Amino acid sequence: MLATMAVSLGMVLVVAIVDYLTGLEISVALLYLVPVCWGAWFGGRNAGLFVAAASAAAWLIHVMLLCGFIDHPWVLAWNTLTLGVSFALVAVLMATLALTQKNLEATVTKRSAKLREEVIERRQAEEQLRQVNAELQQAHMQLIEAAKMEMVGRMAAGVAHEVKNPLMILGMGTDYFLQHPVTSEAEAMLLQDMKDAVRRATHIINLMLDFSKPRPLHLVPEDLNTLVENSLDLVRHQFLKQGIEVVRELQADLPALPLDRTRMEHVFVNLFTNAAQAMPAGGTLTVRSSLQEVSGGSSDPGCRVMLEVEDTGPGIRPEHLPKIFEAFYTTKPPGQGTGLGLAIVRRILHIHGANIVLGNRSEGGARATLTFNPTPKSLP
Amino acid sequence: MNRKRILVIDDEASITRGIKLNLEALGTFEIRQVNHAPDAVQSALEFKPDLVLLDIVMPEMDGGEVAARLREIPSLKDTPIIFLTAIVSHEETQGGEAYIGGEDYLAKPVDLGTLVQAINNRLIN
Repeated sequence: MLATMAVSLGMVLVVAIVDYLTGLEISVALLYLVPVCWGAWFGGRNAGLFVAAASAAAWLIHVMLLCGFIDHPWVLAWNTLTLGVSFALVAVLMATLALTQKNLEATVTKRSAKLREEVIERRQAEEQLRQVNAELQQAHMQLIEAAKMEMVGRMAAGVAHEVKNPLMILGMGTDYFLQHPVTSEAEAMLLQDMKDAVRRATHIINLMLDFSKPRPLHLVPEDLNTLVENSLDLVRHQFLKQGIEVVRELQADLPALPLDRTRMEHVFVNLFTNAAQAMPAGGTLTVRSSLQEVSGGSSDPGCRVMLEVEDTGPGIRPEHLPKIFEAFYTTKPPGQGTGLGLAIVRRILHIHGANIVLGNRSEGGARATLTFNPTPKSLP
Repeated sequence: MNRKRILVIDDEASITRGIKLNLEALGTFEIRQVNHAPDAVQSALEFKPDLVLLDIVMPEMDGGEVAARLREIPSLKDTPIIFLTAIVSHEETQGGEAYIGGEDYLAKPVDLGTLVQAINNRLIN
């Protein structure tokens, strides 16, 4: 305010000097409007009125200095008054304009801020909607998968019952002949092959039955790292035979997880065996456990225990990834895989409220990422 | 040598025949086959088995009912029964999760070694 007043009065002084120097013949009185407008615009109505009065006074002083005491003081007074009133009106007008503009600016700024907030809120809502939609889609896919698995399971149970009796007959037959002397080496091999075939078919049927009619879970708080070590023990001989090195990156002090020990070891052994089959000429298996925080955006934030199993094999071909968990889908040669291993793995994890993602590492090889919730909301 | 008598009850004649052939070849068992469940009680009364191998899923009368009828007869009520079933897998037969009255049961197809071991265990106990 003071700076505005100082500048305005400075301008009044300059105009007054110019007015004085140019004499009475040349009128520059309108130039006083510049400091009046300046003062009113930047200093407000009162400042504008003060500069208007100062301008009128300056004009009166310059006339008096040029003409001395004039013959008609009333004329001079009238002219000074009309000039001062004119300046005052301009000052009031300018101050009103400035005030209106400031109010307008404030309104625009306020509305812009509100608009920005609305845009941010809308974006957040859109993001939440996208996440809910993704979760819904996932749930939908799980429902379809569950329905499909139930159908496969029912079919498997029916088939299993019808196939097991003939297998028993074949098994008893081969057992009988195996107890008796054979006439040739070839005959002995044939009988042993028959016995092995019955055993293999039985194994597949049993897998199908387990898949279709999983036992109830026996959940006990378990240390994930201990179960991993137990499972590694079970495949130790196979790893040694194939020259597979095991790297453990297991985080200590993980929270206990509600797990069915037998079934979870089945999961780990299956993953380790798959990794070993992907590295027939040796390689490195890395098992990594960690505790991670899941926040914002997730429908169920909190701590998660992660387990990663990595191998240095050729990885999984992209065209196999979408179907890799489907029952009876296998990438192994005929007779070497039932196509139920990973389907059972995912099923076991699912009934534990856990999740598995399979993918490839950028450095080569495959990676299985298992996510466990230490406090699952509910188990299926 | 006193051979142990085993009554094998299954509606599939080829299964009872296979079991009979195998167990009798060992020389320590005497086997009688029953392929019609309602005849099981009468056969048991006549044969006086030391152990019964009993299929669960059979037409006319299931293994559970046959077992219940055998248990009603005082001379047979303590005869051990091993159930044979095609509807459970080997995994379910382990861990002591018996489905039927605390009896043993074996999942079909069962190989000779497992069958003989299960029979001997029950006969000893």
